[in-house]
Amino acid sequence: MARDRDDIDFARPVRRILVALMAIVLALTFLVWRIDSPRVERFRAAFIDRFVPTFDWAMVPVTKVLGMVEGFQSYARVYEQNQELRRELQQMKAWKEAAVQLEQQNAKLLAQNAVRLDPKLTSVSGVVLADSGSPFRKSVLLNVGLRDGVVDGWATMDGLGLVGRISGVGQTTARVVLLTDASSRVPVKIEPSGQRALLSGDNSALPLIEFLESPEQVRPGDRVVSAGDGGVFPAGILVGQLAQGSDQRLRVLLAADYERLDFLRVLRGHPIEQLQDVGALIPPPPEASTEEDSEAPQSTPSALQRPSGDG
Amino acid sequence: MVDPISRQLWLHRALYLAIAMVVLFLRLLPLSSGASGWPGPDITLALTLAWLLRRPEFVPAVLVVAVMLIEDLMFQRPPGLWALIVLGGTEFLRAREVSLRDLSFMLEWITVGVLLLVMVLADRLVLSLLMVPQPPLGLTLLYYLATLAAYPLVVIASYAAFGLRRAAPGEVDAFGRRL
Repeated sequence: MARDRDDIDFARPVRRILVALMAIVLALTFLVWRIDSPRVERFRAAFIDRFVPTFDWAMVPVTKVLGMVEGFQSYARVYEQNQELRRELQQMKAWKEAAVQLEQQNAKLLAQNAVRLDPKLTSVSGVVLADSGSPFRKSVLLNVGLRDGVVDGWATMDGLGLVGRISGVGQTTARVVLLTDASSRVPVKIEPSGQRALLSGDNSALPLIEFLESPEQVRPGDRVVSAGDGGVFPAGILVGQLAQGSDQRLRVLLAADYERLDFLRVLRGHPIEQLQDVGALIPPPPEASTEEDSEAPQSTPSALQRPSGDG
Repeated sequence: MVDPISRQLWLHRALYLAIAMVVLFLRLLPLSSGASGWPGPDITLALTLAWLLRRPEFVPAVLVVAVMLIEDLMFQRPPGLWALIVLGGTEFLRAREVSLRDLSFMLEWITVGVLLLVMVLADRLVLSLLMVPQPPLGLTLLYYLATLAAYPLVVIASYAAFGLRRAAPGEVDAFGRRL
């Protein structure tokens, strides 16, 4: 007993020092993160890159089994689904007809104009590895990373619509911050009115539309596509449909199927060329100010330097 | 040969780590990625507090900090802050574990509830002081209530599965040492 007491008396101060040391280290970690966030975030990405794949062997079977359970549950209402599918098929036939006609028309118009479509939008596809795990963060982890040339900030979409933006890249994994995340802000355009706005996630399934200049020009049901503003995203990727919430605020019904994010396409973004030149003032040629316009042919050398035309 | 007491000790520590990892794994499963659900209970935290009030030696501070730090990194939380707060909370409880032994379960639950609330508010306070963007207050409160509601379930489950209960005042172990 006496020896035990000695042990405890000896162990207590040591333990207290250890706890204090841990507390200091944790506080320092947090402060370093606050001061130099990118460095710590890189460490986080590297850590996740090592940590998540060790779960991989178990993750795939469990996900598959749970998916199968969900699939079995849906057998219960197979009759209704069948009816629903028949109705949808009927509608789809009409749409297909319209699409074929539009495609022909489009091909004709493109041929006439010889339009140069943007050839740069190639993509890398990845499989969703893991969820964010936290209820306050909407993000997923993809199995593509630096190895595949993925870069921070690239747009990510599923088959149909925009899903989010790459934020945090490891060697073999990359994190996609979804549009529904509270920190996600994406410039969008609302068609057909062409109004610009900001799509800001708020942790709900329907992100908000903010900074809309004239709300009376848009109505629920309008298409929302990404805008190239700020050079963040390629323009014109479908985001979803406008909807009005019960609180009268405009929200977006996302086109991407957020319930089933299995395969995602990461669009290779290329830095959008910025027009640096503001368009210099074109002064009248020096002699033109003193003489009459009959002298204009003499000033052709200076006019040739600025072929952009004058007002 | 390993004596049975330290084997029990290390077994339970390994068990704690294993449960924490399984919970982490289940929360990382990409099942309903984008769907917005209610913030679920933090089972790991409830488990930590429940075990701490029953057998504090099964959840040493180093282990708690390691688990919380891994969660911080995995769940995109500010690294270190929540682990630090949990360390503070658990050390507070650990120092008072002996005097809390003769409380009824209701009072224990209230104690844990108050402590959790203080921890959550401290987290929000530090984050807002340093101007870190944080989730809306409503979601944090839901998370707090869910964790608090899960606490009795975790206690019952630990008792049923591992026979973990609070030491009675003055209880001794097989070697005659005070627990």
